Amino acid sequence: MTAFRFVAAAGLALTLLAGSAHAEPVTLTWWQMEQPPQRVKRIQELLDQFNKSHPDIQVKQEPQSWGDVYAKAPAAFAAGNGPDLLNSIPDFTTVIKKIGAVVPVDDLVKDLDTKHHFIKATLAPYQYDGHTWAVPAYNMALSMWYRKSVFKAAGLSVPKTWSEWKAAAQKLSGNGKYGIGLPANKQLYTDQTVYSFMVNDGAANIYKDDGSIAFDNPKTVAAYQAYADLQKLSPPDSPSWTWGEAEACFNSKSCGMVLQFTVISSYNAQAEGDAADLGVAAIPHADDQPESATISYSNGIMITTKDAAKQKAAKVFLSWLLEPEHYGRFLNMEPGLFLPVTEDGAKADSFWNDPVTTKYKSQVETMIDNSKNGKLFGFTTGKVFPSIGAISAQDVLAETLQHIVVDGQSAADAVKAGQAHMTEIAGK
Amino acid sequence: MKRTLAQSLALYAGIFLLVLIIGLPFWWVVTGSIKLPQEIIQRLPTMAPHSFTLQHFRKLLQSSDFPVYLLNSIMVALFSMIVTIVLALPAAYAFFRMAFPGRNLLYRLILVAYAFPGIVVLIPLYGLFARVGLVDSRASLVIVNVALALPFSIWMMRSFLGSVPREIEEAAVIDGAPATTILLRIMMPLIAPGIASVAIFAFISSWTEYLFASVLIVSDARRTIPVGFAGMIGQYQIDWGLLLAGATAATLPVVILFALVGRWFVSGLTEGAVK
Amino acid sequence: MKKNTALAFVFVAPALLFLLAVLGWPLVQAVIFSFEDIGIIGSQGHFVGFANYAAVLGGMHFWSALGRSVVWVVGNAVVQTVLALGTALVLNQKFPGLRVARVWVILTWIVPTVVVVIIWRWLLSTSGGMINPLLMEAGIISRPIGFFATRRSAMVALILINSWRWFPFTALMMLAGLTRIPGDLYEAARIDGANARRRFTRITWPLLRPTLVVLGVIGTLLSFNVFDVIWLMTAGGPSQATETLPVLIYETAFKGYRLSEAATISVLTSVVLMSFAVLATRAMTASEAGR
Repeated sequence: MTAFRFVAAAGLALTLLAGSAHAEPVTLTWWQMEQPPQRVKRIQELLDQFNKSHPDIQVKQEPQSWGDVYAKAPAAFAAGNGPDLLNSIPDFTTVIKKIGAVVPVDDLVKDLDTKHHFIKATLAPYQYDGHTWAVPAYNMALSMWYRKSVFKAAGLSVPKTWSEWKAAAQKLSGNGKYGIGLPANKQLYTDQTVYSFMVNDGAANIYKDDGSIAFDNPKTVAAYQAYADLQKLSPPDSPSWTWGEAEACFNSKSCGMVLQFTVISSYNAQAEGDAADLGVAAIPHADDQPESATISYSNGIMITTKDAAKQKAAKVFLSWLLEPEHYGRFLNMEPGLFLPVTEDGAKADSFWNDPVTTKYKSQVETMIDNSKNGKLFGFTTGKVFPSIGAISAQDVLAETLQHIVVDGQSAADAVKAGQAHMTEIAGK
Repeated sequence: MKRTLAQSLALYAGIFLLVLIIGLPFWWVVTGSIKLPQEIIQRLPTMAPHSFTLQHFRKLLQSSDFPVYLLNSIMVALFSMIVTIVLALPAAYAFFRMAFPGRNLLYRLILVAYAFPGIVVLIPLYGLFARVGLVDSRASLVIVNVALALPFSIWMMRSFLGSVPREIEEAAVIDGAPATTILLRIMMPLIAPGIASVAIFAFISSWTEYLFASVLIVSDARRTIPVGFAGMIGQYQIDWGLLLAGATAATLPVVILFALVGRWFVSGLTEGAVK
Repeated sequence: MKKNTALAFVFVAPALLFLLAVLGWPLVQAVIFSFEDIGIIGSQGHFVGFANYAAVLGGMHFWSALGRSVVWVVGNAVVQTVLALGTALVLNQKFPGLRVARVWVILTWIVPTVVVVIIWRWLLSTSGGMINPLLMEAGIISRPIGFFATRRSAMVALILINSWRWFPFTALMMLAGLTRIPGDLYEAARIDGANARRRFTRITWPLLRPTLVVLGVIGTLLSFNVFDVIWLMTAGGPSQATETLPVLIYETAFKGYRLSEAATISVLTSVVLMSFAVLATRAMTASEAGR
């Protein structure tokens, strides 16, 4: 009896010891800003797969909206309950860096670059002050979208310069249709479309090397003038457009051309979905520029935890995410929108094996090509100044456009006002 | 009451306009939510739907956390309602039926609470909640909602309490009943419609609150409908069908609620004195 | 009146303490912020005395926003009063379906603001929205309008939308006041030969006025502080045309990352509103005392 009890006790002790040898998994909270339901679902699938294969690391996503997160994230960090991983666009990183919440990821990025070869344009906006501040995760670049059949019927070839563009837009206007749909709201999308004109006019830099504002110059004025001229051919409510109206206009055939990151999924689901007819091209450049450029929005993921174990776990997760076999599925949370930031991502089967991506293969290839010539305002000179966060958040580029479109000011006066506002922000 | 022809015409024109102004937008939204996407984005929209689909609702239920948002909204609204009544009723009774020094001053002070824009308390309140570990909790929303609804609720209650004849109270006092008994046993049943009105006011105010919910709640599991819904508007794209389905779904619970208890709210208002 | 001070305080204390804790204390904090120079939330601030107040009162933003707030409040008051009064008068009559009407007229108020925004954003858009085609069909306009494309139309549209949302609630409050007016008064007046207009000006209006005054005061305060409708619909645009004080405060704090400045504007706004509230409640109690 005693022997049995002893064995039983020993067995119990061993079981308890074995149980305690199971370490608690490291849990990571990830704030990502892709809230549309199908994107959340795809991310969850990937997380389930990762969590299963890595029982010692559990990653949990908390979808946030870009509208709230500029307020919420600093508040959360200040209160000590910020996330461990945080999605970002370059100007948002400067904000989080300012409050000291982001951790440099130099080694990780160097490692990943060797393995997967980042596209330079996607890495550049996160490298300054001697460090890399985020891991690029997905890219978006504006392209110009049109219908080949519509162009053919109007006898138009794809415009490459602004004069050709204006002529094409005018030709396509009339009978209740609008040649081009350009937004004119004080909002991020308009910042982006306006900037895409600026980069195509050689006015890509808004800062001088010493951090003062170089916004007010003839090239910028010309870019705004060209934009305002084309905006006159857009639907009358374009000054209140946020994200989806331009696309909706294009899909309903009311707008002949739009500038967007993509129209593929909505064109496929809500319009006629004819892949052969959907045309995409680089945004036309000013007559005196040699080639086209665009605005590219490299979305990255920042590590925002100071805990060493969590940082290690975060690095494991991010490496896993960029592996070609997983990465393509991540990008295809919204097929035809998110572009790869790595060379091998651009070749990965997991990227091309999505039915929509395959259906619109030539369009996606053009989008990737266009993205390589992409820039982002405030991140063009290799020197990044913290005021870009507030300048972006307050949509000064779009605000300047509104002075022209809504207040009727001249382009020169509007740009001057924009310069003054930016200078005021940079001075604080 | 006999009406002239002109008066009848005016009346029915008024009713017609009301139905139009209030009902038509909702009609469009609900019918839009069951149209095919191609029909929704047509340049010339249709008054009555030509197509029928449930795909938007399916997408809403399957790929978003809408049911979770709904549950959170209901929970927060219910508790906000209960706490508001518990705090407002005795306070209103004291203000109106009892005398004490500083009564008028305190009453005015409470109303003055509305003189402050909500944003002003947002940041300090966030800091306070963070310190006591209440961030990302539904309790924090209840606290905020109650604070926002309390002044108006007290004012509303005060008016209902005023409509009860003094004699009933005095009779109870002569019988030797203490104030608490008077409040609970005698007044409450008489002002039940008033309580119902305040309850519904608190519930609806909580239901629609956006600003604080968007900052205080961090995780998706505790999100309420207004914030969850705003998030569905999404970055870079608009899916009108999904949004219209969401709008319909967000309206439905309160419509059902109102179908059940709406008449108490209205009768409470129209029978209570508003001074 | 029962004099039972201790018990009265017991009854009042919970509500009072609650409000002090949840609203009062943060307000004190906000005032403290306004005397410091905090930028992004969470960063350290130093005492700067009245510097923020000087800057805000000396600059343009505060005064323009204040002006817009006044326009907003007055616009809302006018439109809502007209709509609500008309609705209340209609609902005070007898007609088939009255009970149903009284319950469901409030549909626009019980719906979350986000839904209101979605509804009108969609209805007023030029791609798929119903309003423009209807107006064109009726011959009122020849080309679609961008309702939020110009400064004035944006403010007007927002006022109408916010009024659409709130007028049934106000109407029910008014209806409450109307039902208190004894029918006998009207009967007596009719027997005396008074027509509809006289009955309104001699009976309805004077007896309804106290209600209207109270609704006016509280309605003004609530209206002034409306944030989510404006923010979600236009974010203060186009070109700041709809940037009222609450919107300015939010922008300054969360997009401009100037917390102390936002706190300063908040304090100033509160002072404006408090003065109005104090004056108005004084007028309120005066009119009540006179009855």
